[in-house]
Amino acid sequence: MNFAALLFIGLLFGAGFGYFVQRAGLCFAHGMGEIFIGKGKRIIRLFLVIFILTSIGFLVSGYINPALGLKTIGQIRGYGFYNLLAGMFFGAGIFWNGGCILGTLRQMGEGNMHFLVAFISFTPGMALVVYLLNPILEHGYAVQNILLPGLLGVAAPFVTGVLVAGSAIWLYFVMKKKA
Amino acid sequence: MPKKTKKQTKKEPEKPAKKHVFKKPMLFVAGFAILNVIMYLAIGKFWIGGSSFLPMVGQLGPESKFLFAFIVNIGVIIGALIGAITSGEFNFRMPKKELLPSAIFGGILIGIGVTLAPGTCTTSFVTGMPMLSVSSFLSAAGIFIGAFIVYKLTMGGAKK
Repeated sequence: MNFAALLFIGLLFGAGFGYFVQRAGLCFAHGMGEIFIGKGKRIIRLFLVIFILTSIGFLVSGYINPALGLKTIGQIRGYGFYNLLAGMFFGAGIFWNGGCILGTLRQMGEGNMHFLVAFISFTPGMALVVYLLNPILEHGYAVQNILLPGLLGVAAPFVTGVLVAGSAIWLYFVMKKKA
Repeated sequence: MPKKTKKQTKKEPEKPAKKHVFKKPMLFVAGFAILNVIMYLAIGKFWIGGSSFLPMVGQLGPESKFLFAFIVNIGVIIGALIGAITSGEFNFRMPKKELLPSAIFGGILIGIGVTLAPGTCTTSFVTGMPMLSVSSFLSAAGIFIGAFIVYKLTMGGAKK
């Protein structure tokens, strides 16, 4: 498949993601706000549905095509210190801005230009890290790519199975409370 | 007289708040999750958030993978636009002046966060944690801490 065709397919998948996200009203920044004020059942339900389906799908993908399966996302940097720090920056940013990545893209599509300003404002932050901080930091921190099954020394289906079962039970109780 | 009635009828139709966004959100997020898995099975790529914006600072990534992710996210905007128009929720709004600093400051912090450790964003929740990637669990913990600090500084402080 040539790259132009791949980009076009990506655009179509993206449009599908955008449609579902818009119809669901999904935004993790709003969700965390709901959790902090003690009304987080909605976002917990949505997260658990995503987690259960995607976990099963990614695990099964490895049996369908051995080139797929579970893969690390990003890297563990500085034994996790930079992941925590970056997460804190990101968490503070989305709470200040009022939208996570999906929430920002969704609300741009809904016509809210506040989020276009936020979207453009990603650029100076990214440029600061890419061109100034990363060249300094990259030589100083350890980089690791670890999956949870590797860390625990347990087979992936078992870890996914336990987490999915736990999530399903949690979802059941959250739904029960709702009913 | 007819003018009055026209004015009255113009004032009358106050559209009831549309509730259908929250009616079946679980089905729609299920659609999102299944589509993410289908994309992975079909072309070996999954949805990512933060790193996809690196082309905005001239970084296309190995084999232009960030460019691909950027195009996917342009598609997300288009899909959200289609969803908003078809459901009658499209509402063009210019940013409010008083909220601009929070958009800019928040955007800069997001930019720092997503590049300081790749995969540190919404990707953690929808792709990284289901992949059982340890970095995503760490990032998710950081996201909660960062958001909670800002919550305490802003809304938490306002309560008092």
